[in-house]
Amino acid sequence: MRRLFLIAALIAGVFAIAACGSDSNDKKSTTAAGASTVKGPDINAKGEGQLNMVIWEGYSDESYVKGFEAETGCKVKAVFAGSSDEMFTKFNAGGGGQYDLASFSGDASLRAIKSGSVAQLDVSKLTNFKDVAPQLQSPEFNTVDGKQYGLSFVWGANVLIYNKDVITTAPDSWSVLYDPQYKGKITVPDNPIQIADVALQFEGAASPYAIDQATLDKVTAKLKEQRSLVKKYWVLATDFEDLFKSKAAVLGAGWSLMTNDLKKAGLNVAEVIPKEGVTGWSDSWMLSKNAAHPICAYKYMNYVTSPKVQAQVTDVTGYTPANLKSCPVVGEERCNALHITDASYYSKIKYWETPTQPTNYKQWADAWATVKG
Amino acid sequence: MGWLLVFYVVALVLLLMTSFWRQDVFTAKLVHEWTTDNYKQLFTGQDGLWLRIFGRTVLLATIVTLIDVALAFPLAWFMARIAAPRWRALLFLAVVVPLWSSILLRIFAWRTILGQQGLLNTFLVDTGILGKPSSALLFNERSIAITWANVWLPFMVLPIFTALEKIPDSYLEASRDLGAGALRTFRSVIFPLALPGVIAGSIFVFSLTMGDFVAPQLVGGGSQVLGGAIKDRFGVAADVPFGAALATLTLVTLMGFLALSRRSGALENL
Repeated sequence: MRRLFLIAALIAGVFAIAACGSDSNDKKSTTAAGASTVKGPDINAKGEGQLNMVIWEGYSDESYVKGFEAETGCKVKAVFAGSSDEMFTKFNAGGGGQYDLASFSGDASLRAIKSGSVAQLDVSKLTNFKDVAPQLQSPEFNTVDGKQYGLSFVWGANVLIYNKDVITTAPDSWSVLYDPQYKGKITVPDNPIQIADVALQFEGAASPYAIDQATLDKVTAKLKEQRSLVKKYWVLATDFEDLFKSKAAVLGAGWSLMTNDLKKAGLNVAEVIPKEGVTGWSDSWMLSKNAAHPICAYKYMNYVTSPKVQAQVTDVTGYTPANLKSCPVVGEERCNALHITDASYYSKIKYWETPTQPTNYKQWADAWATVKG
Repeated sequence: MGWLLVFYVVALVLLLMTSFWRQDVFTAKLVHEWTTDNYKQLFTGQDGLWLRIFGRTVLLATIVTLIDVALAFPLAWFMARIAAPRWRALLFLAVVVPLWSSILLRIFAWRTILGQQGLLNTFLVDTGILGKPSSALLFNERSIAITWANVWLPFMVLPIFTALEKIPDSYLEASRDLGAGALRTFRSVIFPLALPGVIAGSIFVFSLTMGDFVAPQLVGGGSQVLGGAIKDRFGVAADVPFGAALATLTLVTLMGFLALSRRSGALENL
């Protein structure tokens, strides 16, 4: 009887605490009308010895991280996310502070800024900032009210990847992913943001992240048509690569990272940007408000945005580096293929944004659930 | 024991409370405003999608439990009553040792086995049963069921083994003396005495399948199960309160199953 009373009292206590308490982050998120510059840590000081980050696959590859660890003594611990929301959720788990850095794409970066979980960056401590492509220095997805919250890192498009041994002529339209001829041989991302791709490519939406309910319904119907053709919806890059390697899939929507990895594994694959247009992502490094290792964090940001390391990152991922000085490092041919200095190409890609209206992300996520069934 | 209950109960209460709140779509922060919208969505939303997912998961869990009973019983019988004591210990170890390895590894192994270039397909093609590798073995509900049945099998074998081991030889002799054949003995003597073990094993397997999201993600296709749907809501689909509502539904189902099992007296014999 006493135990029951104790449990009841505890439950009541939990209720009271949780119901009354509001997230303290809310108070910090209001953009202060004070100075728009902030003082960062001394980047020449000794690092804290450790760095935790939640990132996309390929952003802490051994080929360049080993050099960083040797140079700075900061041991890198990286966790991967399969989607922007997963990265956002992980970064904020337990009140934030678990991770020092995240490589947020343009959709998650604004959410991070608005929710007050990222710190303003001290541009004077970002040694490669001046060499970043002009359109990427202070873009609206990582700079708000003149305050710099992110450092642009790399960008890329969501491309169509296919197995050249099976599909001998290069496809030029996204409709190939909806062709019954390839039933059971297709893979697309398990991510509600795919709705934007269909809106752009088949509904001609000029702003694919701001679509109304009618368009969302049409897109959902199209995706349901595709459902029976999809072998598996991939979550991590390795899923995509395993499917291609085992020949379970010959066609898919993916990232240049996959094309790179599969080619290295000896597969005859290629990627194309079909005529209907592409969505993409532009990633920024962001620092947690409660980062435990800010010195190591700044050191890493400066390390991976240096021309030499940007070239190494491209070797691993195939994405386009933000630092213009990496162009001569990769050579003219590759520089052109990657469009490093091509600002007009950059502007053609519809970068990830978090849909808020007319339809919001929850509506997209629920629609996506009905597609998968 | 008291502290365990406290932490466990507190976590469950928080889960229940979260299922009555909202989440801000943009900042992903929980808004502490009471609403029954999540449960409305659960029972009526998306044309009954969530109820379909629930039904599918319960069906799969039931099938996997039945498969495991069918596989575990003969094995447990052999271990408990036929095998020599030396072999009994080795078999026991063989059943338990896989549990020492990472479950992720074992599920991944099934991905390799069932794949187009995997062990099973190679075997079927080499023996001429199939002309070419089948893509129907992986990334569907079938492959999830096969994987689950294998991975949770030790949890079914052990309770049944315990129950069968306890049956005195004299019971079986008495049954034979009274003129009962093997089938009658099984039906009237062995199975009723083994039933508590079967139910205990079923509780384990059923609960583990209802909540699992790892196997569906690694070897499943597009169709969702409850565990996967909940996991998505805490990740890519970013809707924690709705995920909490789904989780509460899972808990209530399992509690119902436990209540039914309790009446059979199985839990006293664990």
